[in-house]
Amino acid sequence: MKTYVAQRLAIALLTLLGMSVVIFVLLRLAPGDIVDILFSSAGYVNESEKQAIMTELGIDRPYAVQYLEWLRQIVTGDLGKSYRYDLPAWQVIRPLLPVTIELAALAICFSVLFGVPTGVISAVRQDTALDYVLRVISLAGLSMPAFWLGMVIILGLVTWLGWIPPLTYVTPMEDFRLHAVQFLLPALAVGYRSSALIMRITRSALLEVLREDYIRTAWAKGQNGRVVIWRHALKNAMLPVITVIGIEFAFLIGGLVVTETVFNLPGVARFLVQAILWRDYPIVQNLVMFIAIVVILSNLLVDMLYGVLDPRVRYGG
Amino acid sequence: MKRFRMAGVLVAVVLAAAASATPALGQSPKSGGTLTLVLREDLAQGFAIHETATISVVWPAMPCLNNLVLFDPLKKVESLDTIIGELAEKWSWQDNYRNLVFFLRKGVKWHDGQPFTSKDVKFTFDMVRGAPDAQARLRINPRKDWYANVEAIEAPDPHTVVFRLKKPQPSLLLMLASGYTPVYAAHVPPANYRTGCVGTGPFKVKEWRKGEFVDYVKNPDYFVKGRPYLDGLRYIVIVERGTRNAALQAGKVDAAFPGETTKTAAEQLKKAVPQLVVTPFSQNVNDNIMMNVKKPPFDNPKVRLAVSHAIDRRALIAAVHQGGAVVGASLAPKPWGFWGLPEKELLGLPGYAAKPADEKARARKVMAEAGFTPEKPLRVEMVTRAIAIYVDMASFVINELKQIGLEATLKQIETAQWHAMATRGDYQIGANLTGIGPDDPDANFLENYGCGSPRNYSQYCSEEVMKMIDRQSQELDGKKRLELVYAIQKKLEADAARPILAWRIDYFTHWPHVKNLVPHQSIYNFGRMQEVWSDK
Repeated sequence: MKTYVAQRLAIALLTLLGMSVVIFVLLRLAPGDIVDILFSSAGYVNESEKQAIMTELGIDRPYAVQYLEWLRQIVTGDLGKSYRYDLPAWQVIRPLLPVTIELAALAICFSVLFGVPTGVISAVRQDTALDYVLRVISLAGLSMPAFWLGMVIILGLVTWLGWIPPLTYVTPMEDFRLHAVQFLLPALAVGYRSSALIMRITRSALLEVLREDYIRTAWAKGQNGRVVIWRHALKNAMLPVITVIGIEFAFLIGGLVVTETVFNLPGVARFLVQAILWRDYPIVQNLVMFIAIVVILSNLLVDMLYGVLDPRVRYGG
Repeated sequence: MKRFRMAGVLVAVVLAAAASATPALGQSPKSGGTLTLVLREDLAQGFAIHETATISVVWPAMPCLNNLVLFDPLKKVESLDTIIGELAEKWSWQDNYRNLVFFLRKGVKWHDGQPFTSKDVKFTFDMVRGAPDAQARLRINPRKDWYANVEAIEAPDPHTVVFRLKKPQPSLLLMLASGYTPVYAAHVPPANYRTGCVGTGPFKVKEWRKGEFVDYVKNPDYFVKGRPYLDGLRYIVIVERGTRNAALQAGKVDAAFPGETTKTAAEQLKKAVPQLVVTPFSQNVNDNIMMNVKKPPFDNPKVRLAVSHAIDRRALIAAVHQGGAVVGASLAPKPWGFWGLPEKELLGLPGYAAKPADEKARARKVMAEAGFTPEKPLRVEMVTRAIAIYVDMASFVINELKQIGLEATLKQIETAQWHAMATRGDYQIGANLTGIGPDDPDANFLENYGCGSPRNYSQYCSEEVMKMIDRQSQELDGKKRLELVYAIQKKLEADAARPILAWRIDYFTHWPHVKNLVPHQSIYNFGRMQEVWSDK
């Protein structure tokens, strides 16, 4: 097991190295740089002033030098300086992380708490009215973009209640109730889509397991229905569900752009878009690397969970 | 026009009126409270107003800083008559408008406790005009051209500053009164204004949480007694327009972002919350067509003229702006501005005839003279910025041009590339928006039509027009200056230098408890917040 984890971490490092090249190259392929944006906000361009700023920021150096400098910074724990804010990148990024992680975690919790039980019910009551209702709900969740749902929630609240959630980040220490309100609504908007996906996966996986011989045997032996479904069937149907949960969590860390924007939450995804628009390379590069690390770690965690859920799974090494 | 009847008099002293400014609406102002305002993006360059041209910086940075002079925050009209003193207590024109002398307030302190003196003024304006002996340089200096006529700045004593001009320029005062023209502290490196703000203004920066908000607290040492009325300000960054409107509707913010509220949006807000106050005012931003006069086919004046004839301005205002704009030439017309050509004067100019069909017929005739017909159309690429308000306008224009045998394909340019492309002249024809700081001919003509100006994207250069611009700038008689300015506008439209299509109107919306927040003729000049109070 330890060897397996060590091997996976080594592969993860190689993956991250490859990612760093992709991030670096793609960012430079995008037209324009921070200096173009600065002059754009001033409404003119002066080539000599432009060159001076490029030299000041170090973006006139060869790409290879810039790339190696970035790697050196990552290794030494110095993430460089934001071009836009003239502050250490870590100082800019650090406050964003808890917001996004909390939102993604809440959304996943909601989607699991809603998606798994409804998936089970839908499978157990296959082709009944309840199953159809739940399937319509899940189809609606998959069809509705989270940003649209978020905007509908905001507009609904302001129209009917004349109220919207706080527009600046409220920490739990400042006001726990407001903090909860601020996060619950976007978590619901995002979690609904994920829950729909989880529900469908749970339903189809469970339907397959319920047709297995050992389940039929359990029924024939007169086992308690709940025990058969929740202990024997669901546990074996959970592997694809866990995979989807892992993918969804990783996706949410970087994919909350529109939800964070609509609910005005100062998280990673919203900030990342702004940083891309400003070609703030140090911020973009490090944020994307952070997202890549989350994706790799969540995949690893999911693989570990396979062994816990299914004793037949063996880790090589 | 009485403001120029002072011509010939060597000294014109204008007393500062800031301290005695009359509160609007006849109500007694109340002190206290905090106002919540909204930003559409984070501060692009911190508080460094001199290094940017965007309202996204000027609006939230103005409360921290002061000018020598400012357009009276309580008056809608911006003119020499409505200029009040800020850091300058008095000012005086001398030597037939060649020397402008400022007498500075005494006892003014920067937010860090250092005293404000004439050194700060000299430091700032030497830096902005790019004087060879300036103590500091700006990284980006978009308004250097405004000060091309300043020969030297002298600080004979700590409370006197003299601007020595190469030739008379009465309107220099208008540029100094713009929100674009604050005084920086000489003891603070200009780069520091990108991350923080040491000003003399009515509010001090308390916290700038990046991407989230800027908090201000009242400056207790402010030099105008009894001001500001508010205890603090909060500018919240809300990137999503729908959320911004919802926040205003829900009362989470007290006023809209200037230049943001279209006629349709204002009508919807007013319908939802009838007590909201909507004030239409000029953004001082126009829609225009830039045609590269250095490249075929628009090096041919006939083709340029045909384009100008072809575009039905009134239809564009109805279709693209839903009526939320007005026609005008290169300066905003009354009552939105002061210098713009009145509509009756526009009627004889290309594109403004009462019957659009007549204009289209003229355009086709001119195109035929240039060798292009519907059977043998002219094909060009039209560029525009990849932002909805640009693209909407460009799409309308392309449809208009198609009707005269000019087939344009649209190419959207990312913001990062837009100004670089326009300055290089790397295009044929473009649909563009131009914002102008103060409503003044000098600021507009030199920047947008001056030979060699980096913002003269069409690269139109006429010796005759340059002479006319020079003459109006030095003209001390207001009536004569206005006539000259009208003549310049007619010439620019007749040459299709950069045909103006519409002047955008903003429907500035705020809650009724917000008092004394008076929109001006330009979005860049009314953000000081010194006179604003809350009747909550």
